[in-house]
Amino acid sequence: MTGIEYAKDDWYPVAMVGEVPNGSEKETQLLGTRITIIADERNGIQVSERGYKLKTQVAFDHIWTTLSDNPRTLFAIPEASEVERRFVPCGVVRVKCSPLIAVENFLDIAHFPFVHTVPAPMTAVLYKTCPPKPEFQDVIAIFVQPIDEETCDVWPWMALYDDESTMAELIQFQQLIFLQDRSILENQLPRKLPLDPGMELPTRADLTSIAYRRWLRKRGASYGATHSAS
Amino acid sequence: MASEPVGLAQDLTEQRVMRAQVGDQDLAIWRSESSKLQAWSNRCPHRGMRLSHGFVRGESLACAYHGWHYNCEAACHYIPAHPELTPPETIKVQTFGVLEKHGVLWVNVEDTPKPTPLPDNCFPLRSITIHVALNTAIETSQSAPLSLGADSSFKLSDENADASILTLTDDTNHRQVLMLFQQSGDVTVTCHILMDGDFTTDELIKVSRWSESVRRLAESSTS
Repeated sequence: MTGIEYAKDDWYPVAMVGEVPNGSEKETQLLGTRITIIADERNGIQVSERGYKLKTQVAFDHIWTTLSDNPRTLFAIPEASEVERRFVPCGVVRVKCSPLIAVENFLDIAHFPFVHTVPAPMTAVLYKTCPPKPEFQDVIAIFVQPIDEETCDVWPWMALYDDESTMAELIQFQQLIFLQDRSILENQLPRKLPLDPGMELPTRADLTSIAYRRWLRKRGASYGATHSAS
Repeated sequence: MASEPVGLAQDLTEQRVMRAQVGDQDLAIWRSESSKLQAWSNRCPHRGMRLSHGFVRGESLACAYHGWHYNCEAACHYIPAHPELTPPETIKVQTFGVLEKHGVLWVNVEDTPKPTPLPDNCFPLRSITIHVALNTAIETSQSAPLSLGADSSFKLSDENADASILTLTDDTNHRQVLMLFQQSGDVTVTCHILMDGDFTTDELIKVSRWSESVRRLAESSTS
């Protein structure tokens, strides 16, 4: 059981909006399957798997696709419709780790035990205080594209109240954070996320991680997971 | 599994940590401030981070990820996120036998290490890493002539009981060069070079250069 059955019914980001110009194509991979993103003026963006046309949609400044003909509904981020916010897609970081390990690591920086920040196994949405507008919270999310069980492309995305920083500065900052984390992510053993309950260490710092792992286990969302530590 | 030479003592000074591999076992080898030598599973029990990326803090090894500290009994004794907490005794790293002899670090992942007998006064020169299979590294070394001048040529001795050690002997000057091979990955071999007898500094440099030429030869034979 690799969890592929559960995983293939979700939506995943495969490119930023505007990344694939009209008249061109981009090859990428999703859940071990090669896919092609084709952009042309007449049909817009299409994603196909060996000629089979996949469902696609645009959300949160990214192009999303799914290998399923009957996918689950893509999650909502209410702040994405607040027009005063600045929306910052930060590009992509390739990481040689399980997509689930990438999400768990990202949850660690939250330091609070609310896993409602995980709307889908390979997505995490965090809220942080917003200095210019104390009554609002900034949104920092990662959308993870599972290349295979041990490789992922991480697409960070932010929805901020920030009128001062340039787009380049914001993207630079986010890329820096992710590059710092990369050696941590790529040097965890086993290379897949352990879901064995015996592997959990009950300290308070790990409540987020424990809740995330239990949440995955309950759903059978085990693509990128292992049940042993070796 | 036999005891394996995973490194040279001179390359693992106090407060340093290195990575090694024996068979499938990934290892973090480290030395505390008071010079206690440790060989551990290279995996923090918390989130599986390789401990060889960590830092030695006095008598503890700290994980690079969340900074959990493990003492020389391999028990976690400090979690920075909860400084007031005494960590449960169950949080321990798996340990293996390691000891130092002839300036070489020996590990046995199944038993107490028993270093291969070597000449009493031999001393380490250096280690080199060669990205080839073990037999390629050994065969290349066997066929690479070593000479340190007109009256100093080394002959391959065939007396070794241990197939992963080569002994090159210079009978005229009563001295030897020993090569200890350790398979440290699927196609990675670490070779530790030890000297027995009197060598000048220039000669040591020549042996070091010769070992680099063995590496180039071995790696070019497979690429």
